[in-house]
Amino acid sequence: MLASLFALLIFPAGLFVLVNGLAYHWIDRKLVARLQNRVGPRWFQPAADMVKLLANEEVLPTGVDARLFTALPVVALAGALAAMIYLPIAGLPPLYNFPGDLIVAVYLLSLLTLCTGLAGAISKDRFSIIGATRALTQLFSYEAPFLLALLGPAFAAGSWQINEIMAYTSSQWLILTQPVGFVVALIGLMGKLEMAPFDTPEAETEIVAGAMTEYSGRGLALFLLGREVELVGGLTLIAAFYLGGINNPFDYALKTLVLLLGVAGVQTLMTRLRIDQVVGLWWRYGALLALGQWLLLLGQRMGT
Amino acid sequence: MSKEQFTIPIGPQHPALKEPGHFTLTVDGEVVTGASVRLGYAHRGIEKAVESRNWVQDLYLLERICGICSHIHATAYCLGVEKLAGVTAPPRAQAIRVLVAELERIHSHLLWLGVAAHQAGFDTLFMYSWRDRETVMEVLEQLTGNRVNYSANLLGGVKFDVDTRVLETILSGLDFLETRTHHYLDIVSGDRIFLQRTRGIGMMTSEQAERLGVTGPTARASGVRRDIRVDAPYAAYDRYPIQVVVETTGDLEARFIVRLKELLETYHLIRTLLDGLPEGDLKTRMPRRIAAGETISRVEAPRGELFYFIKSDGGDQPARIKVRTPTLSNMASVTQLAVGHQLADMPMLLTGIDPCFSCNDRLTTVQTSGESETWTWEKLRQYGIASYRERG
Amino acid sequence: MKIETMLRDIIQSLFHKPVTELYPAQRQPTPQRLRGKLRWNPEKCTGCCLCVKDCPCSAIELITIDKDNKRFVMRYDAGRCTFCAQCVQNCRFNCLEMSSEDWELAAMDKALFTVTYGREEDVQSLLGCVAPTGDPAGE
Repeated sequence: MLASLFALLIFPAGLFVLVNGLAYHWIDRKLVARLQNRVGPRWFQPAADMVKLLANEEVLPTGVDARLFTALPVVALAGALAAMIYLPIAGLPPLYNFPGDLIVAVYLLSLLTLCTGLAGAISKDRFSIIGATRALTQLFSYEAPFLLALLGPAFAAGSWQINEIMAYTSSQWLILTQPVGFVVALIGLMGKLEMAPFDTPEAETEIVAGAMTEYSGRGLALFLLGREVELVGGLTLIAAFYLGGINNPFDYALKTLVLLLGVAGVQTLMTRLRIDQVVGLWWRYGALLALGQWLLLLGQRMGT
Repeated sequence: MSKEQFTIPIGPQHPALKEPGHFTLTVDGEVVTGASVRLGYAHRGIEKAVESRNWVQDLYLLERICGICSHIHATAYCLGVEKLAGVTAPPRAQAIRVLVAELERIHSHLLWLGVAAHQAGFDTLFMYSWRDRETVMEVLEQLTGNRVNYSANLLGGVKFDVDTRVLETILSGLDFLETRTHHYLDIVSGDRIFLQRTRGIGMMTSEQAERLGVTGPTARASGVRRDIRVDAPYAAYDRYPIQVVVETTGDLEARFIVRLKELLETYHLIRTLLDGLPEGDLKTRMPRRIAAGETISRVEAPRGELFYFIKSDGGDQPARIKVRTPTLSNMASVTQLAVGHQLADMPMLLTGIDPCFSCNDRLTTVQTSGESETWTWEKLRQYGIASYRERG
Repeated sequence: MKIETMLRDIIQSLFHKPVTELYPAQRQPTPQRLRGKLRWNPEKCTGCCLCVKDCPCSAIELITIDKDNKRFVMRYDAGRCTFCAQCVQNCRFNCLEMSSEDWELAAMDKALFTVTYGREEDVQSLLGCVAPTGDPAGE
């Protein structure tokens, strides 16, 4: 009982990932700033933002379902945190596992975007509605390639259980044999997190804050925390699958930070894509490439 | 489909707008089907205020019409008033006016490049272009002492001279900026993802440009060869001619290219100007009372043609000053071009004309009834005639 | 057609110091011609008031103590001043200059913007008979 409480509140699915998420969020912002020749925020900035938001008044806009409006951020954060139970956070083996937990984890990670979309859709604000439409459109376009990219390693390992796949990938770097899958997974993660250049759903200069426009205070803080948790979870998953597994905390920190640098590089290099271009990119290139690689793997498997 | 229209308000407070303006966009999904604009949120009553100040004081008030192209407003005013008074500023003063105006153009165009890149979601280009813009800001600071509102002009001359120290700062700054501008030109014409957002967007043919009356780089990007610096040279532009940069494609990409190529042209102009800077006085005597009469003064601001009408009744205060800024001429193109484009293109389309709202807001009517009212051209004209008749 | 047109910039930046100026922790030297707070030298002033006449924002006020002996006091409001230096141009006796060092003029109280310049005894006599409108920081 005490052990499960510890797991839920402290490690891995609690305080630890929250702090880790805030730290990674800062590192990401700092990296982007340095790549743009700026100073960037100080180390406590994301934490200070959170404290400020949590202390702020939460405004309940008129015309929304109050219960749904307050429940959605909680569900989003809870979903992201629940996924952490199945992931090798900090290089330690996943807390729980069962055959097929990969699928559960990936869908728990998608819950955040789904909640974001819903949160925008129940609002009466026009920017929120457009933001929600865009968030869901983007969800449908990157989700399939992202899943395919994560199924590649699963397929190679012959298991849909995260720790078994890890046991397989520890012995070999799948980035070498499945480079397409790696790129698709990393870019898919950026789409999931609505990072530039996939920040169309919250394109500031077009629709203010997208689906989040009406959120303030606690609700916004929970959504943002959920996104930071997902950043940690996503990087962990990709590092574990494609970068030769993560076996100890040092391994974890090194590999996820290298991935974060790559993510920051892509963020700085590209212009925001329009929503039609995002959909086009994913279905025309992402999905086809991932599928092609998948078929190739299948062919290999059949051949041997 | 329901008959109800989904409208999106952009402004008066919106992250895409750095100044208040209001655009109502009717959208069908992501596609814009209608657009209308409402201006006037930043009306400051400057034209009225200048009538109660003397000619010298007005110079500084008019310089503050625009925070970015402040010098060109002062220049237009000075040239107009000098014309009325029958005074000509010395050649060295005229050359320094051109020098500051061109440095200001560099600062304005680089600023625009950053803002436009930010609107497209390319923040890296934004950060870098603004970093490099600091160079020209520092040059202006060395030359005039201020980063904006340089107040370099005087009626009948200029305040600041170019000495060797300033000369070196300008030349070294230009060298750096020239390499960077070439680099930015490569980016805006070569970056594939950026081109997805600019190529073929906001297409305006030269006929459309003529009909909508656009000016400045926006018109030149549509193949309209119009530049006051060449068509009606003022200050020292007759001695330092400039090549007009024209692109014919008329899309957003062309607007980027025109502005950046204009920068290269400007560097060249400044170098020739500094080479042969005429010797002589910086200012000449100016009467306190300006002879009665009226005149117009046209200059090429970074955004396009800036127009001043100045009327004097012989006193030490102007009788009427009318300012028409290029943004007003260009604004009509935004609502025209918006239709059929995606919502995501709107911020860029708007930025494409380099709008400056507080510059162009000239008229406000205060309504107490709360109902909207349309003023026709004829009604506006009759109102003006009646108003002036009343004043005598 | 490339997608990494800014790659060189960002890699260079990774190994260079950021260009952000860390004001106020680190201060850059001010340019020579910077127009800061106005300074007035009472010795040469003839009281022609040309500076006052052309000031676009009524930031200066010249108070005559004794016209015959050329005793004046200048009251300058840095909160109104737009730092255009027209007064400096107008002055035929070079009594006025704008400081290039004194430019951080923000204050928490409006009254702190007003400065009274003049000879010690003139300022004192002015403040004695007229109610003080601001900080009597006579120089």
